[in-house]
Amino acid sequence: MVELSPEIIEMVIRSASVIAAGLALIAGIGPGVGMGYAAGKATSAVRRQPEARGSIVTTMLLGQIISGSTGIYSLVIAIYLVFT
Amino acid sequence: MNNINDPDRMQIEILKRTYLISILPIAFALISGEFETLLGFIFGLVISTLILRLRVINIERSLDMAEERAEKFIRNRYFIEYTIYFVVLTVARLNPSLNYLAAAVGLFMIKFTVLLWMLLDMVRGGLNKKLKEYKKLKDDKTEKGGN
Repeated sequence: MVELSPEIIEMVIRSASVIAAGLALIAGIGPGVGMGYAAGKATSAVRRQPEARGSIVTTMLLGQIISGSTGIYSLVIAIYLVFT
Repeated sequence: MNNINDPDRMQIEILKRTYLISILPIAFALISGEFETLLGFIFGLVISTLILRLRVINIERSLDMAEERAEKFIRNRYFIEYTIYFVVLTVARLNPSLNYLAAAVGLFMIKFTVLLWMLLDMVRGGLNKKLKEYKKLKDDKTEKGGN
């Protein structure tokens, strides 16, 4: 059986953690696309019903607050992995 | 929560509740003498407050655009926000006087508050509905008993 030196093992772990961080960052794309789609639909809704503008803005704000957090979860994990 | 239709009022209400809930972790950090945690938490909270304001401004700007343009605009703004979060978390990770996890929790505080607020509204609405049903049932029974 081949025995690897501690330096090589360290390097493998380090590179694996950086790759994992990169993969975790992909999770940040989804909320952006979703938020953009919601914003487009909100715009057309305001065009149809201008009197409901306030209600649309508040609903969209709450939606963006909730959906934006999933991207940050992945960011927290990625930064933790990179700077460990 | 659903009856607030003014974005500015909604923003103020969210911030008011967030700061109210944040008193608890700040007090715990102060009592236990964890100043790194306290600083990290306040750092995250301040940044999340500013990002909330930025988000409201972006939403209001996007509503005056065409559908495709608004979609692109909000998507691009989200990636700028994501970069800001990245910088904030990196600073919290590299700076020894800031606790990284506390900064992350500070960034999440607005989300936690909104979720808690929604949950409480849901529970309150469910309880009110049950109470109304119970009262109606009771009134029906007394009417039948009276006849």
